[in-house]
Amino acid sequence: MDMQDELSTFSRGGIVTDDRKTLTSGKPIERFVPKEVVIPLIQHLGNPCRATVARKAKVTRGDRIGNAIGGVPIHASVSGVVKRVALQPHPTLVEAEAVVIETASELQEPVWEEVSNWEELSKEKMLEQIADAGIVGLGGATFPTHRKLNLPEGIKVDTLILNGAECEPYLTSDHRLLLEQAKDVVWGAVLIAKIVGAQRILIGIEENKIDAAEILNKAIAKINPSQKVFVVICKTRYPQGSEKQLVEALTYRAVPSGKLPMHVGVLVQNVATAVACYSAIRYRKPLLDRMITVTGRGIMEPKNLIVPIGTLVQDIVDFCGGLHPRTVKVISGGPMMGKALGRLDCPVIKGTGGLIFLTVEEVRREHYGPCISCGRCLDACPLGLEPNQISIYTEAGRQLETESFGTKECFECGCCAFVCPAMRPLVQFIQVAKQSFMTREVMHV
Amino acid sequence: MSESPSLMISPGPHLKAELTTKQIMWWVNASLVPLFCWAITIYGLRVVGLLISGSLGALVGEGLVNYLRKQRQTMLDGSAVLTGLLLVGTLPPGMPLWMPSVGGFVAIVFAKMLFGGLGYNVFNPALIGRAFLMATFPLAMTTTWLKPFEAVTQATPLNVWKLEGVFFNNTLHLFLGLRSGSVGEVSVLLILIGALILLFKGIIKLYIPLSVLAGLLAIAFFSGNALFQFLTGGLWFGAFYMATDYVTAPINPKAQVIFGLGIGILTGIIRLWGGYPEGICYAILIMNAVTPALNHWFRPTRPEQMGAPS
Ligand code: SF4
Ligand code: SF4
Repeated sequence: MDMQDELSTFSRGGIVTDDRKTLTSGKPIERFVPKEVVIPLIQHLGNPCRATVARKAKVTRGDRIGNAIGGVPIHASVSGVVKRVALQPHPTLVEAEAVVIETASELQEPVWEEVSNWEELSKEKMLEQIADAGIVGLGGATFPTHRKLNLPEGIKVDTLILNGAECEPYLTSDHRLLLEQAKDVVWGAVLIAKIVGAQRILIGIEENKIDAAEILNKAIAKINPSQKVFVVICKTRYPQGSEKQLVEALTYRAVPSGKLPMHVGVLVQNVATAVACYSAIRYRKPLLDRMITVTGRGIMEPKNLIVPIGTLVQDIVDFCGGLHPRTVKVISGGPMMGKALGRLDCPVIKGTGGLIFLTVEEVRREHYGPCISCGRCLDACPLGLEPNQISIYTEAGRQLETESFGTKECFECGCCAFVCPAMRPLVQFIQVAKQSFMTREVMHV
Repeated sequence: MSESPSLMISPGPHLKAELTTKQIMWWVNASLVPLFCWAITIYGLRVVGLLISGSLGALVGEGLVNYLRKQRQTMLDGSAVLTGLLLVGTLPPGMPLWMPSVGGFVAIVFAKMLFGGLGYNVFNPALIGRAFLMATFPLAMTTTWLKPFEAVTQATPLNVWKLEGVFFNNTLHLFLGLRSGSVGEVSVLLILIGALILLFKGIIKLYIPLSVLAGLLAIAFFSGNALFQFLTGGLWFGAFYMATDYVTAPINPKAQVIFGLGIGILTGIIRLWGGYPEGICYAILIMNAVTPALNHWFRPTRPEQMGAPS
């Protein structure tokens, strides 16, 4: 591979901040298995599942416990006995139906038999195995992966981008995955590239993960795939890992508003999703675990963990030495786009990217003030929108007049609110405005 | 299971960059310190009195309106004090000590709070304060300049030029600030040091000040002594401290260049062909009035397509 002269990055907006990743970036991924898991039947976009098991049923890790029409199935992440199927706390939906499994005393990893000829499977076969494995996008969107990989008629993709940017501050589990399972990552990429017919694979990582580049390059040399595979190092800059920004950074192709990367010939997959696809294709292994970064000053022992899906946040807290006494905020996902959790008795689900515990010192609670027209939000917006105007109009109850400022295009990356010196909750204003547009559309139908 | 703590729920982003409005305002105040120290050195301790008087007037105005309207008290956010200090920066050092209070009060109450407070005003409050004093106390505003290091009055270089056609011929003194003039305007050097602080903190950008200077230079060539025009009067103070006020200047960089050029050119026109020796105050106020239109015409462009496919 040629040396890169200059680090890639997207052209507009974005922020550079203290990424606080060193709290966990040096810590290998540890496995933790709780005594009980709570597996919600709705975890991702698409139809919720129906439970196929009942109370007292014995299940083995990997068994299917929920099916959905048109959606992806859900599996038992531990072996044990079903305690109940009932409404349980949910990290994003407040409450949802879930299967509660008590873990059998000894944990046993089932033997995953290799699929014969797994390197030569047909596209359809691979997609079927990915669907059966219950894989969804693990970068946050949780869109069913077999559907994303099944390109619509007439769309051709020449480049597969593997998203290893992990641009949110604090998070390090993708970084650890690249270091510890580089071969699986590359294999996943090669298989996905086969499915979508891409001849070129670009693995995008940020400069703060430069140690992963060498390891990836070694893995690429060893596997020696038929596609061209490059590791591209990007500047550390948020939101580099957002699909459109990464596509631009790596290929100089701009994805027009309202379009997807595939419309410019690119498909983006997260690195953890690629590993899941690899396991599904080679071993028919379902998506059972979630890698997460447990970090922040609010947790006593920050760690990178791999836990069965359904592990309760509280159990993870206990495993990581407990909360700092001054912890006031728990975020599921990254600190820029993640969601604050109201309770600790909800489970980790397929889309949980990390758990960040913030102490009172790290959280700001001052009032927000009027817009002082400083222009920082305009400089920070990667899309060239006008969050200042959207907020002013929305504050005045005129949110339906904000379309020309870009309300509908905003992907809520939070750069604008991050830089606003008046501490205006710009993303929240934008959400309010979006909601009004949606309500209006519904009422006009 | 241990007891759950009570957790804060709030929308993302959950991190926030360091700089707040309040910090910005206090940084601007702080960057004025060298300038005012110099004024105290050359014009005497009465400058301290003027500065206190001006900021007190502004603070009382801000506090009073907030109190009467029963809204959150914003006196300590640094912006009222800043208006007071900037106003005094434009005043002659020999004026009666009570006068800046009146100007500061009027500036805050009429040019800021009646428009809805910080963020909503159209005109730079400090300059409205100055314009008010100019109209109300014209004598004090035009005759109380002091000679450096001597407690006697002396007309400013711009006045001398306007009335007698004589140029101040020591360029170095103009640059360092060894001349008579308004409290904040005299030392180009110290204004540059203050501006460097603001640049370093990321508080101001150069689009506006540089275009103001360029605009004035373009006109100053007609005056026969461009360097004199360039280094005197309130040009630098206005360019770096008044025209850069976020609220009353346009947001878009291109619009900022037009705004700055407009100020520079108008300043030159008023100085050369107008009735006043100094024009920057009115030039800025006029361009403030154009700001809403500039904001409307110059909006960020959203790239539909950038670069070619590789
Ligand atoms: S949240 Fe929306 S408006 Fe704000 S910077 Fe991101 S895309 Fe732009
Ligand atoms: S960053 Fe905040 S204060 Fe500055 S223009 Fe945007 S909304 Fe207004």
